[in-house]
Amino acid sequence: MKKIFCDIKKCLGCKSCEIACGVEHSTSKNIFQVIKEEKKPRQRVVVLSTTKEPFPLRCHHCEDAPCVEACMSGAMYKDEEGFTRHDPDKCVGCWMCIMVCPFGAISRQESVALKCDLCPDREESFACVEACPTKALFAGTWDEFKERLSQQKR
Amino acid sequence: MHYVIVGGSAAGISAIEAIRSQDKEGRITLVSDEKFPLYSRCLITYFLAGKLAEDKLKYRSSDFYAKKKVEALHGVRAQRLLPKEGKLILDNGKEIAYDKLLIATGASPQMVEVPGSDKEGILGLRTYRDAQLINGRLDKVNRVSVLGGGLIGLRAAYSLHARNKQVKVIVKSNQVLSQMLDKGAADLVRRKIEQKGIEVMTGLAAVEFLGGKEVTGLVLDDGRRLECELVIVGKGVRPNLELVKGTEIKTDYGIIVDDYLQTNLPNVYAAGDVAQAKDLITGQSTINALWPCAVAQGKVAGLNMAGKKVKYDGSLAMNSIEFFGLPVISIGITRPKEKEYEQLIKEDEKNFVYKKVVLRENRIQGMILVNRIEQAGVMGILMRKKVDVSSIKGMLLEDRFDFAKILPMIKEGKQLFTEREFEESIISY
Repeated sequence: MKKIFCDIKKCLGCKSCEIACGVEHSTSKNIFQVIKEEKKPRQRVVVLSTTKEPFPLRCHHCEDAPCVEACMSGAMYKDEEGFTRHDPDKCVGCWMCIMVCPFGAISRQESVALKCDLCPDREESFACVEACPTKALFAGTWDEFKERLSQQKR
Repeated sequence: MHYVIVGGSAAGISAIEAIRSQDKEGRITLVSDEKFPLYSRCLITYFLAGKLAEDKLKYRSSDFYAKKKVEALHGVRAQRLLPKEGKLILDNGKEIAYDKLLIATGASPQMVEVPGSDKEGILGLRTYRDAQLINGRLDKVNRVSVLGGGLIGLRAAYSLHARNKQVKVIVKSNQVLSQMLDKGAADLVRRKIEQKGIEVMTGLAAVEFLGGKEVTGLVLDDGRRLECELVIVGKGVRPNLELVKGTEIKTDYGIIVDDYLQTNLPNVYAAGDVAQAKDLITGQSTINALWPCAVAQGKVAGLNMAGKKVKYDGSLAMNSIEFFGLPVISIGITRPKEKEYEQLIKEDEKNFVYKKVVLRENRIQGMILVNRIEQAGVMGILMRKKVDVSSIKGMLLEDRFDFAKILPMIKEGKQLFTEREFEESIISY
């Protein structure tokens, strides 16, 4: 299962991922038109910072997802591939998911929860990964990511 | 193998999912006295408020039982349990033999025992049927008295206010949400709901209900009379123990279970609001009658029933709720009495912001977050993993606190943070 990983050492904190994520979740999907859109899109990846370096935070699609377990409306659920999905139509904004997400990767958009949806409108890769100028963000499996890190060490 | 589950809410449904993750073929039968299946009780107040369509009450799809190969008996009550024979007798006369039994019978609203409490129009609010009963009366209701300022009481008040009723909430203690919040946070919630037109009266209790066949008002313990056509009782719940009464299954306040959610009988398990299990923070045997706890317990019970030995971490008193756009989260110990506890508080009354962390020996024991809730889960994981937070204590309540700030602690405490997702986040750090 392909998800998003980050090699923290390569992250510059440029926030290209945030912008790409916002554009991807807009109506026009065009950065110049987004500015004029009435309902401004919100990014689902946020570049935080540790005491020293930047750290792009996004949903980890946890294997044993606490948000799915805590969701009382069935809005947060696991799909057949194991990704954590969110159905805003079922969400009542009780914020049980926020209460239990150990990453703080879920935010509030008006009355519903908002988190990484792995770019459902794209067939390949993810907007944040493609936008990352240093290839700090990586799309692949956990084993592929570990392999890549170990290759770099060699 | 025949698994029988009594109760079709959070714990029961979660147990079915857990059993099926291990055992694809074993027979599963579910018995529930409710006619309406697969709905979330937590959504009832949203439904009553008219903000949620009936079909959205279901938190699992209608083909759930078919997909999980469950024989679901709804509208049938499990009347007697014969543990020695491994049998359950239903109110339709049928008998079911089980190999493994899960008792997830939940709890019922605690009603008020004062003169006149048998009048019509005095109702609890927990099930779909309760919501229907209330709905059925609303045409002739203008004024509502809600007894109890807990979560159910306030949610009930909120939903009836949304239906344009005049609502008064009568609370025995000197604050709302006394199980969940301290006075500082509770006063913000109170101010918010009073601003919106719900009246809150604290330090008072109803001593008598007035009216003929139907309730027309009540008398308070200070002698005042309130007129109302509907009374909602939100005075907490008590576990439904009828099924185990007279059997050898051990009970205290609820059914006593061990760390594997097993009762004192080897083939009988209990989970959810009826089960008295270990509390994660205090270590004591208690009931945290909350949705996420019921789901977690149902899961552990189901896994153990299916033969996978899984220990239950313990339940954590935690709740999250929003009132008129004001989000509130509370986890663990929020009003410590002993002085070994340290309390950090940050308030901004004007903006309805209140943050509090309760510590003991530099470990988080509890928290309250009002209007700034986003980092609740990050603090929550430090609490669950019992991490020493002395290095970030000064930052915990700051707006800049977030997951990135705890990366060094995760790296140092690898043996605690065993879930793969934590490894993913620190592998390159």
